[in-house]
Amino acid sequence: MKVSNKEADERLLVEAAQKDPARFTVLYEANFERVYAFVARRVNHRADAEDITAEVFQHALENLPKFEWRGVPFVAWLYRIAANQVMNRWDANSRESGNSSSTEPSVDFDEAEIERTERLSKLFRHVADLPADQRRVIEMRFAEEKSIREIAAKLGKTTGAIKQLQFRAVQALRERMHGKVGKSLGGRNA
Amino acid sequence: MRKQTPAEKLDKLIGQLQQPGKKTLAPENSGSGEAIELARLAGELRVLPRPEFKTRLRANLERRATMATAAKAVPETQTKITPYLSVKGALAAIEFYKKAFGATEGLRFMQPDGRVGHAEISIGEAKFMLADEFPEIGFRSPQSLGGSSINIHLNVPDVDVLGRQAVAAGAKVVRPVADQFYGERSGHFADPFGYTWVISTQKEALSTEEMHRRAAELNAQQAQADVDDAKSSPTEKLRHLMPYVIISRADKWLEFVKDAFGAEEIFRAKSPDGKSIMHAEVKIGHSIIEVGDTNDQNPPMPTAMSLRVDDVDAIYRKGLEAGATSLQAPSNPPYGGRGASLRDPNGNHWYIFKSEPGSDVFHGFGTVTPYLHPVRAGRLIEFLQRAFGAEETYRAESPDGVVHHAQVRIGDSVIGMGDAHGIYQQMPSTLHFYVRDVDSVYQQALRAGAKSIRPPENQPYGERNAGVQDAFGNHWWIATPLGSQS
Repeated sequence: MKVSNKEADERLLVEAAQKDPARFTVLYEANFERVYAFVARRVNHRADAEDITAEVFQHALENLPKFEWRGVPFVAWLYRIAANQVMNRWDANSRESGNSSSTEPSVDFDEAEIERTERLSKLFRHVADLPADQRRVIEMRFAEEKSIREIAAKLGKTTGAIKQLQFRAVQALRERMHGKVGKSLGGRNA
Repeated sequence: MRKQTPAEKLDKLIGQLQQPGKKTLAPENSGSGEAIELARLAGELRVLPRPEFKTRLRANLERRATMATAAKAVPETQTKITPYLSVKGALAAIEFYKKAFGATEGLRFMQPDGRVGHAEISIGEAKFMLADEFPEIGFRSPQSLGGSSINIHLNVPDVDVLGRQAVAAGAKVVRPVADQFYGERSGHFADPFGYTWVISTQKEALSTEEMHRRAAELNAQQAQADVDDAKSSPTEKLRHLMPYVIISRADKWLEFVKDAFGAEEIFRAKSPDGKSIMHAEVKIGHSIIEVGDTNDQNPPMPTAMSLRVDDVDAIYRKGLEAGATSLQAPSNPPYGGRGASLRDPNGNHWYIFKSEPGSDVFHGFGTVTPYLHPVRAGRLIEFLQRAFGAEETYRAESPDGVVHHAQVRIGDSVIGMGDAHGIYQQMPSTLHFYVRDVDSVYQQALRAGAKSIRPPENQPYGERNAGVQDAFGNHWWIATPLGSQS
């Protein structure tokens, strides 16, 4: 079977990081959005998503020497760790609150699930590629959960201008998600 | 009313989405149309990661990676000890260690019966393991054994903070946090599961020599406290005139007195090269014997000592078994009681005795009492009276003037002596005792005819001392703990 270039590249990255943990950041940069998307879809609070994402990468860094290449993408291993951490967190939370009524999070990941996760991580990456003023508005509005008024004050613009930037940013994101604008994405995520 | 622009319409929908608990758009907003499609995308953006979080996590991983590289440099085959605790109620214990010590749980295996079969816990960099007790395989907890003989020493950045945290979580203070002479600040805490944790923070990095020096200082302070104690209490106390045995292979001798007489080693300071013993102290009953290896300045001075025991024959046998040779087998001497004599492997004499009840002989003797063999005991007694204010308390003399046995009291201590004769020839000894004012006693001893070995000077181990030699070659080291002169 012909090994795809992408797989071979990833394998080299993993092996480099196994030899030199300082190289792990390359794997981190390549997979951060995917892991975050996977986790965020399964927990209710941003703080939980951040904690668990941190745990996943810390665990991965610590256990990287034990990782064996079996032809499965590296991210599948990260998803497996993430699924465990999500379950642990849910266990701990339901033990702490003494109520087990909250529904157990689904950590099954079939192809459809993985596709949805990939889609979401792609959206995160597109945000990073937006023009700077649009990007800042989207980050502040969604990631930092600020109001239009707060953003306007911070950026020294009118609320109308911020709403306009937000609108144009979301439009641009929709276009990029539909592949209407290739820009730098073709090479990275195709 | 002004018509809403698409940007305003989208923002209104986003506003709806951002209400807590909102997962989908209100039904009236479902359907198609650009605004709705954009709002759906915006809905997905609600979980957008904070860029600041991504940056911070990256920095955190870089730091961990650096540490991992450093850790990797240590060979993986290094010898390591990991405590494995058996506890009754392992789940509760894990929760306790998390609360008390900020521990994290790495791994846990549960048994089908609900017991924890194995768990791995980390406190900072330190790792330990624990499991529920399994009495069926002899794996018992301190609670079923009635205590644990193992203490766990836990180094932390701030013992005061962690100590308080542990107490808040339910630990009990066994010994409060305090600065220790070896450069640590530590306290002992009992957890609810029967283990004692010595929580400690390194305050100073000390050399072994410095630790020994401080230990000696502390000992001198303790000795002074004992002196004060003895003055205030009529009950039997530590004797403050101590034989100082100078011999070769002091380490072997320490083993001998432990084996033969059940001595307890209470202090040992090695020479800077670690090869010999500079100073050590053992306790037998209520008495202390000091010992040091012989060197250029200190020629060997084996010493004769009386040893008060309950069973002369048994101790004599133990002495022989431990390597001593017999000077005199157990017998009933004419002055009553029972006695026997041994010579230990380092050349010291031991006069083992049990005194006759009500007899004046050996009255005031401690468990160990130095015993001298001067050529003329009478002359030594006179010297001791003039030099140290000694008091003669007993003398058995034959008509020809030979002193068979005499006793003098110096301060709170007694020494015995008998004229040199037969196998009991002169054994010049070193004796060490505490006085209120070393300088005046030193002058007094010189006036009584002693030769100076060393005039009074302050010692780094916390005492001011001086040495004099009497006409029979005995060395007398007089000392006053520093800071106690009146």
